[in-house]
Amino acid sequence: MFTLGIDIGSTTSKAVIVKDGREIVASSVVIATVGTDGVSDAIENVLGESGLEHGDISVTFATGYGRQTYPDADGQVSELTCHALGVHHVFPDARTVIDIGGQDAKVLALNERGRMANFVMNDKCAAGTGRFLDVMANILKLDISQLEVEAAKALHPAGISNTCTVFAESEVISQLAAGTKIPDLVAGICKSVASRAASLAKRVGVRETVCMSGGVARNAGVRKALEQELNVNIASCDMAQLMGALGASLYAYEKA
Amino acid sequence: MAVDELLAQFHEIAASPKKQLEKYLAQGKKVVACAPVYTPEEIIHSMGLVPMGVWGADQKVGEAKKYYPAFICSIMQTVLELGITGKYQGVSAIVIPSLCDSLKCLGQNWKYAVPDIPFIPMTYPQNRKPSYGIAFTKAGYERVISDLSAATGAKFSEVALADSNRIYNEHNAVMREFAEIAADHAVSAAQRSDVFKSAWFMRKEEHTAMVKQLNAELAQTPKDKGKIRVVVSGILADSPSLLEIFDKNEIRIAADDVAFESRQYRTDVPEDPNSLDALARKYANMDNCSVLYDRDKKRVDSILELAKRHDARGVIVLMTKFCDPEEFDYVPIKRACEAAGLLNLNIEVDRQMVNYEQANTMIQTFREMF
Repeated sequence: MFTLGIDIGSTTSKAVIVKDGREIVASSVVIATVGTDGVSDAIENVLGESGLEHGDISVTFATGYGRQTYPDADGQVSELTCHALGVHHVFPDARTVIDIGGQDAKVLALNERGRMANFVMNDKCAAGTGRFLDVMANILKLDISQLEVEAAKALHPAGISNTCTVFAESEVISQLAAGTKIPDLVAGICKSVASRAASLAKRVGVRETVCMSGGVARNAGVRKALEQELNVNIASCDMAQLMGALGASLYAYEKA
Repeated sequence: MAVDELLAQFHEIAASPKKQLEKYLAQGKKVVACAPVYTPEEIIHSMGLVPMGVWGADQKVGEAKKYYPAFICSIMQTVLELGITGKYQGVSAIVIPSLCDSLKCLGQNWKYAVPDIPFIPMTYPQNRKPSYGIAFTKAGYERVISDLSAATGAKFSEVALADSNRIYNEHNAVMREFAEIAADHAVSAAQRSDVFKSAWFMRKEEHTAMVKQLNAELAQTPKDKGKIRVVVSGILADSPSLLEIFDKNEIRIAADDVAFESRQYRTDVPEDPNSLDALARKYANMDNCSVLYDRDKKRVDSILELAKRHDARGVIVLMTKFCDPEEFDYVPIKRACEAAGLLNLNIEVDRQMVNYEQANTMIQTFREMF
């Protein structure tokens, strides 16, 4: 049986096809979201990659920011539930999941069976989310993918306020004017996001193995800063951004 | 009358306070606005005046921003906004207690922002239980009586207050009964809110009669099972968009610790030959609320007990943004819930919220955990 999970996030659309609730057959990330062709493109991509047709998919579940308005799913499920399922599938020993997405951050506590025991979400604030990194990359005229490269070159990470994206933006501009080097600024920005996520994680309680999911997990600068903040190793993988869609696909299998 | 018809009536009243105000004014009655959290409604009622609750509204704030800093409770802001923009026109006075720092600001700002509606302060003591605290509360009530007489010409009598105390005690009892019945019968979160909210806009004897009828009808309906039961805590829980999320996710409010709802009805006026003394003692006897000083934070245990008694699977705190008293209490509540194995959510709410997506995700996730 093939099941499809679609994660319609605030900045990207992701799709994953799973066979029999175990084997990942195809996956796709498209940088476009609700109200665009992003979702259909992601679905066409996974169908193309797997050689399957729409009719081969037994059950489809949607998750993410756009889950409630997506009309072609058999059901919808929250992204927290999906990230818990997805991470547990890839990292069965995971007990804490830190998911930093485009516009929110969540920390999930998993029990021994991989079920969510507790969770916490960020306040309604861009600080500590992917949006914060987008804004900062824009000021520094960097592509988002360059942030981890620049952060790795830092010698003296700059101190950046982690209280507000708007204030931090003006703080970065001030530091640029004062001659702070770009790598040091980027490292400070990564540390700022990590500090915010670490505060959330401490509210739930940090138990190892700690895993990171969501788009920001791809940024090694943030991952390393978070490891330092929490004093633990953090597991992640190339599929970090796909954990929500993977979880939705696994959930679809459970509900089939 | 059928349950649905009664609930529709409660909804209409809860949704149209302006209509209620106009109805009472057309009857020749004088209306006195009562600001959060506890005002001595019994006194107002006993003087032949109609007390009506004013807890703000879900709307944008414009004019009131001139009087407040940016980071302050939206309930206070919207109360002042409604006053400035003439929504309380016809009201004879407003009683504003001093139970939190934001309420103190509301009172002081009101005098200048809405000069045509007299501001009557009610200053409560921090230490309400000792005899000197009770005397302080009584002195505050005497000031309210004096100011009400000046603003409306109404007269006070101990005999009339004794009667009003009895009417309010009876109302407390039917509201407590309703909360228990609603915990087990087919009453949605939105309908439950309507019953509590409408109480603020009606004379209590009228509301009591309606709720009695509803309780009797509901008790005859089959019990409604299969939903996830929770305790809801906070200052307010009246947003239709938020309550819809509870209903959509089949989450039942089995009990509440909400200031706008059950916290109002926990404590009766005790028996006392002197009705004003009795009312002051009622305030002394009140507990388990973020704005009522308690060094031992017994409120935390009361929430756990409420959850246990109602088989609740979790506690959902609806945290009014910038509400310091509630924020201070949240930490021990969270710790106690965790120690008791109760899931708890902290959902930030305010009067100007239009997007409840984050709350939706949190509540849906909570539901999916069972």
